[in-house]
Amino acid sequence: MQPYELSLTAAADAIRARRLSPVELVDSVLARIEEVEPHLGAYVTVTAERARRAAAEAAHEAARGRYRGPLHGIPMGLKDLIDVGGLATTASSRVRADHRATADSTVAARLTAAGAVLVGKTHTHEFAFGLTTPQTRNAWDRGRVAGGSSGGSAVAVAAGAATFALGTDTGGSIRVPAALNGAVGLKPTYGLVPRHGVTSLSWSLDHVGPITRTVEDAALVLTALAGHDPRDPASLSVPAADYRPGADPDLTGLRVGLPRNYYFDHVDPQVADAVRAAVGQLEALGARVVEVDIPMTRYIKAVQWGLMVPEAAAYHERSLRTVPELYQEDVRILLEAGELMSAGDHLRAQRARTLMRAEWERLLEQVDVIAAPSVPMTAVGADETTVDWPDGTVEGVSDAYVRLSAPANITGVPALTVPVGHDRAGLPIGLQLLGRPLGEPTLLRVGHAYERTRPAPELAAVA
Amino acid sequence: MTTFELTPPEAARWAARAGLVLPAERHAAVAAVADHIHGVVAVLRELDFADVPPAAAYRPTRHAAHPAGQGPHDAAV
Repeated sequence: MQPYELSLTAAADAIRARRLSPVELVDSVLARIEEVEPHLGAYVTVTAERARRAAAEAAHEAARGRYRGPLHGIPMGLKDLIDVGGLATTASSRVRADHRATADSTVAARLTAAGAVLVGKTHTHEFAFGLTTPQTRNAWDRGRVAGGSSGGSAVAVAAGAATFALGTDTGGSIRVPAALNGAVGLKPTYGLVPRHGVTSLSWSLDHVGPITRTVEDAALVLTALAGHDPRDPASLSVPAADYRPGADPDLTGLRVGLPRNYYFDHVDPQVADAVRAAVGQLEALGARVVEVDIPMTRYIKAVQWGLMVPEAAAYHERSLRTVPELYQEDVRILLEAGELMSAGDHLRAQRARTLMRAEWERLLEQVDVIAAPSVPMTAVGADETTVDWPDGTVEGVSDAYVRLSAPANITGVPALTVPVGHDRAGLPIGLQLLGRPLGEPTLLRVGHAYERTRPAPELAAVA
Repeated sequence: MTTFELTPPEAARWAARAGLVLPAERHAAVAAVADHIHGVVAVLRELDFADVPPAAAYRPTRHAAHPAGQGPHDAAV
């Protein structure tokens, strides 16, 4: 096994035991990037020289007995919406061609302090306003979409071109690409991970979180990320915590909500079957399955759009007037049309969010987690724009990919996607676990317990 | 869903009122997308909000934590 193939947890154990040096690990990942990047296009920028210097420093520290923790010397990719001082934050857009971040974002600073080594900035759908990331190809099939908007991060992790990565999630942008590439993705509780220094798509829906190979890896990254920062007005005052899940896979007493409506409607049968089989595994571990009804489903899309569209238009107000031609057409027209939404529509979405959050609070009193598909179908072909459902419904690909993610963005509850197998075409399928606000320890415990029932995840071959 | 469709000249005029001058060749496309968005969000008019306030300042939980400088008793939920 090559170092780039190691999970974060395994690499951390090897570094701590001095069986592996950060230099070996970073060199291995950089070599893997050189090998697969021409096929995948996951990175905007690879910071090889900077990474080698940081790895040497990490190795030097380790030799002197200074071990910063499980991220010491671990190679990471950061979505190119996340500021790293001295580097451009391009948002994968020509609008940001001359950008240069003057300081680290909170998450970049925390990860650097924890010893992680930046190997590059990963592609996003332009300004995170889309679900496919067209610059990047799926790690399992180059003719398929990467998913988005954190497509570069998910593909890099799935292909061994980063040991872990960060994404952002406004309507599924961590969970969708993670699910489509067979990675783990965690959208934390709104406000748990500070967004200072991270380019916004929609302030009231934006989250930052990890994309990793395993659930335990996600827990290690979350431990470094979480915690209050007054520079993000939504940041929560929560005590520092160690999110690493315990080893005990016993789920006796845990109530798993299985939705009767919404989450299994217009879902590919192979995806639904894989998710139900995974729920069966949770039952075998002692969990009790409880059928639940998802509230206010008729209004989910309307609330998501009623919040996201005008907030995005507001964020881009100035550059849409000065350099509109630099945006890609799909993003430009949404921003332009977003300017025409009335304040009344935006306020109705905010008021509906109040109602929806209250309903979800009641729902989550009945169960400890909700289990559902992460996305309705696996990765579609790169040139497909719609999906046809058996009842004759035609749905836009982006609408379909957002559909099962949006509730967690609107309500702010944490949501984790975990790989649960592949369809007949060999494409990954994701199980989504949703929990109570600040219920990350439960989500990670359940996800980790599930993972232990399965063989270790494999990297995408990227032939 | 939309009863009153936005015409291309109306889209241009509304955008101009917002300070956004749209090139003529974009009027029709922007009107169509704006109409589509309007159709999606218009369904919210079915809801009776009574005295429900907007959740503009977002809170994921009212018990476990609260943003700095604000109390845990959030009137929004």
